[in-house]
Amino acid sequence: MATLEDLSKAVISGNVAKAKKLTQELVDAGVAPLDVINQGLIAGMNVVGVRFKNGEMFVPEVMVAAKAMSQGIELVKPLIAETDMPSAGKVLLGTVKGDLHDIGKNLVGIMLESRGFTVIDIGIDKSPEEFVNAIKEHQPQIMGMSALLTTTMLHMKDTIELMKEEGLGHVKAIVGGAPISQDFADEVGADGYAPDAASAVDLCKSLLS
Amino acid sequence: MTIRSNIKANQTTRMNVLTPDQCQELVYAAEEAMWRTGTNFHDEESLEILKKAGCWVEGTRARIPAHIFEQALKTCQKHIVLCNSRTGARELFVEGYNSYFGSGPCTPFTRNPFTGERHRATRQSVGWATKVLDALPNIDYAMSLGIVQDVPLLISDRHEFEQQILNTDKPIITVCVDQWGQEDCIKMAEIVAGGEEELRKNPFICLYAEPISPGVHCKEAAQKLVMGAKKGLPTIYTPCIMAGGTAPATLAGVMVQGLCESLSGLVLSQCTREGAPFIMGGVYTILDMTTTIFSYGAPELSLLLAALADVAHYLGIPMFGTCGCTDSCIIDEQAGIEAAISIAMTNMSGANLNHDIGYAEQGTTSNLDLVVICDEVLGMARKLTNGIRVDEDTLALDVIENVGPGGSFADEDHTEEYKEENYMPKLISRAAREIWEKAGGKTLTEVANEKVRDIINYHEPEPLPKDVAAKIRHIVENAVGHMPGED
Amino acid sequence: MESMHTTRSNFTRASFDVNQTIHWEMLSDDQCEEIFMTVLELLERTGVEVLNEEAREVFEKAGCWVDGTRVRIPSALAEWAARTAPSRVTLCDRNGKRAVRLETTYSYFGPGQGNFFVLDPHTGERRKPVKDDVAATAVVCDALKNIDFVLSNGYPTDVKEAAADLHVFEALLTNTTKPIVQYVHSVKQAQAILDMAVAVAGSLKELNKNPFFVYLIDADGTLVHSDETLAKVIFAAKNGVPFIYHTKLVLGDTAPATPAGALVVALADVLVGVLLSQLIRQGTPVIAGGIFTIRDEENNMLPWGAPEVSLVGTGMGNLLRYLRIPSFGFAGASDSKISDAQMGLEEAFSMLHMGLSGTNLIQGCGLLEYGLTGSLVMLVIGDEIVGMIRKIIKGIEVNEERLARGVIDAVQPGGTYLGEEHTLKYFRKEFWWPTIMSRARIKDWTEAGSKSLGQRATEKTQSILQTHQPEKLADDVLAKLREIIEKAEAAL
Repeated sequence: MATLEDLSKAVISGNVAKAKKLTQELVDAGVAPLDVINQGLIAGMNVVGVRFKNGEMFVPEVMVAAKAMSQGIELVKPLIAETDMPSAGKVLLGTVKGDLHDIGKNLVGIMLESRGFTVIDIGIDKSPEEFVNAIKEHQPQIMGMSALLTTTMLHMKDTIELMKEEGLGHVKAIVGGAPISQDFADEVGADGYAPDAASAVDLCKSLLS
Repeated sequence: MTIRSNIKANQTTRMNVLTPDQCQELVYAAEEAMWRTGTNFHDEESLEILKKAGCWVEGTRARIPAHIFEQALKTCQKHIVLCNSRTGARELFVEGYNSYFGSGPCTPFTRNPFTGERHRATRQSVGWATKVLDALPNIDYAMSLGIVQDVPLLISDRHEFEQQILNTDKPIITVCVDQWGQEDCIKMAEIVAGGEEELRKNPFICLYAEPISPGVHCKEAAQKLVMGAKKGLPTIYTPCIMAGGTAPATLAGVMVQGLCESLSGLVLSQCTREGAPFIMGGVYTILDMTTTIFSYGAPELSLLLAALADVAHYLGIPMFGTCGCTDSCIIDEQAGIEAAISIAMTNMSGANLNHDIGYAEQGTTSNLDLVVICDEVLGMARKLTNGIRVDEDTLALDVIENVGPGGSFADEDHTEEYKEENYMPKLISRAAREIWEKAGGKTLTEVANEKVRDIINYHEPEPLPKDVAAKIRHIVENAVGHMPGED
Repeated sequence: MESMHTTRSNFTRASFDVNQTIHWEMLSDDQCEEIFMTVLELLERTGVEVLNEEAREVFEKAGCWVDGTRVRIPSALAEWAARTAPSRVTLCDRNGKRAVRLETTYSYFGPGQGNFFVLDPHTGERRKPVKDDVAATAVVCDALKNIDFVLSNGYPTDVKEAAADLHVFEALLTNTTKPIVQYVHSVKQAQAILDMAVAVAGSLKELNKNPFFVYLIDADGTLVHSDETLAKVIFAAKNGVPFIYHTKLVLGDTAPATPAGALVVALADVLVGVLLSQLIRQGTPVIAGGIFTIRDEENNMLPWGAPEVSLVGTGMGNLLRYLRIPSFGFAGASDSKISDAQMGLEEAFSMLHMGLSGTNLIQGCGLLEYGLTGSLVMLVIGDEIVGMIRKIIKGIEVNEERLARGVIDAVQPGGTYLGEEHTLKYFRKEFWWPTIMSRARIKDWTEAGSKSLGQRATEKTQSILQTHQPEKLADDVLAKLREIIEKAEAAL
């Protein structure tokens, strides 16, 4: 009989098929759905997070573990009320207008998801209006903007200002990208800056605590 | 006295990562990717040009048939020359296996050589950097070593170009923020050269654009490429890709991805104007899976680019390479190691125009101490690639017999003549400990820094005529910025 | 993973040339031939000074022309020597397991010797070496993945000088199982060392079958071969112990100022040792080598970090490869007095070139201050450099799977490779993984203490010395070694 520990191990080893199978088995056996998520799937992902920080696991392995976890969660989702679904928070991510670079943003998304955040990625080349509309639609607690070019980072200020104008000032704004710095973040009125994906996760956690 | 026949000698060191067969395989794979998958051009004009030439265009996706690529190979220049900006003298022969070296552009930060402070690059820092590049004998051309950020950001490139053209007469590779910036920089260059024709005949600038990997040519990049082709000015189009992130995790896969992107640029350039001078190249490296940085110090960088040089030689297209950079945040032993390996490898690979000397902290911060150290390393590397000459004179059989077993060669004429060829270091310390200690017991980086300050304080680059400088200033002052994303 | 394969046919292709590893040359075959022919002429025309009587007799009997101490060697004989010497010498570890293949273009790196000082790995103090330093060198080499043999890294000053070789050998032998390159000052000490080695191996036959050490014999240079030097060669040959015969030349001083001329003298020098060994016992395993530098007139010293060290050194490597004689060379040293960017660049520059040349046994890693000071920290850094170099030499594998054409199509423009199965499958083995090179962003690097590579390497060195436990020798063997040393010292 499959155990929650077996499920965690399947997540850690990035075995998507096995994670799905064990999730189904546990649910069918009558294990509480929330326990399956928290003590099986998320518990496995937490181990991955620690190992990544220690340099024992690496980004592609984190990704595939996150995939195993999220596909397991998809199976359990219909059995739980939306409000009971555990989530560390909702974060909206996008690259600013005129900028098509997205690998940094993608890494942040992966890391956030692996640590239990719900991530809405609206993509690249998004104007301030597009950000604001997306925030209204998805209602995240945090929105994150990415830019790789010194010219495009100018859009970050416009976006934050527009957010405030539209009454969305309660949504935390964080920024990142090669030319970004803490000074710049302060200048444009952002709530935070992170130099890389791992610290972006820490930043989100601290902003929501 | 007779002579012999049939001597195949290495006039230089020889290095190949790939055989011609392997190069061909990679090029065919790239051709396949250009047709089967294609790349995205976010620029109407580019899509039109490609469509007219016979490429298959759907939305932003352009697929290039093999015969159009092969035609582009035929028409592109195999021989590109960059010149001195003051005299028009033909200086850099960017062709074959010639290797020239220079710095890199666009670091957001720089280390102030006087205070050691890490700050955003400014007009002054770009001016200083250009001066240093101008003074160093083994540096062949200039790139900015910083994005100017103490001016309106949307026109930073005009200011950057002005600082560069004032502080060196060596060729300049200019990296502009967008097509309007490039237009202005070309205007400025034409003024210096004495006209559009003059600049095209003896170009001292080289334009630069890069796709966004994987497979995306954003509007600015495509426009810069098209403009360069129309103007007939040398244009570098080069992907900066990292294995595992924006390219496959296998090194061969990185090659295919990169070739697909830069050769798509070649096709656009040749379809815009046949014979437009085009330089392929790249910054190919790995995504460090622990720290998630784009690694400038990784050995894979040197290996991949040496392989790319093999492919470029196979295709006969001039190539833009990368070396002289470090992932280290300071100029320590690691910087020395990474710079030495990358410079030696690049030089031996025969890549033509090689950049990013002085890139520290994974390309985030430029460092002039590193530039000066790399100048020294270049001298060492060139000593090796110049090879060993084997002929009657150098074999010195008669001299050996004259000196005899147990004898000394110190007083021989032969020695007098040939010891001139010994490498004379300028910065590297060989002094005895006591002498070195008395002189301050300095590290190489400290000595390099002294040289940087000395150059900044006292070196006088060849000046621009005052009226020319004034015209340049006029363009900079009247430059109009464009917010990215506005059409 | 069918997305990686773009065809399901069973097709093959033919007539395809690949570089299985990187290809690198200093000298072409024709240039090597020119040099070799010149050497043969030199040995035949000018000859060499042979100051050992037994050697002269052996040479004369074999057909050389001997006039006093001058020996002229007929080309055919010199050629025979080059051809007869085995083209491969395999060194084993202390347990007799095959470890190091000195053949073709396999390259192995290790520390050096001849330094008068060492840097204390704990205090950084520059002081004279003692026996414990030799032991520490062995421990560090034992632990380092990319260092494949040991050398003393400085002769101990706290032992009887006339038995110093033995103490070095004992310290190395008891602190690592990796192959040992053992310098010998005299035949007497060579004998004692052989006795010690036999005590470990069990018998001379066992030692010959699976040798775990080689004698390092310095030729005297510039076509002179002294009595003691050749006596060592004869001793090694008679006992079937592999030995290195190498010459140290200074261009413009003890050799012509041209690299080609220096190579002529060097090859002539070493061929004498090779010939003697093959005449004494055909098939004696011999490793030949040359280390070269120039005289820096401005500083009045011999720079072991100079580019000429690598220029001529790689030429020698290519030359010995051409002759199919296992080779010995030098890299990994610096003229810097301290651990700084100069140390890093000179160390890496030389190791890269010598590694590319395929020279088999490369000593010298960790020598600072133009060879005056040995540094274990520098050796630890060298270990990291070897990892980088080997990644480069390995080259790029080009095949269907690695071309990843299907993956490129699956990812599509604007996509990412991060989540691809292909990435997961390959990233660990395609990339080189640093252990002490920093890739941290400035914030993380600052928070970790703003350390230089030298500081991180120092920590690693200290950690190795504190925690690494090399395999121990049995007590009775240790006792035998002690006995041999005591006996030798008593006889002094």
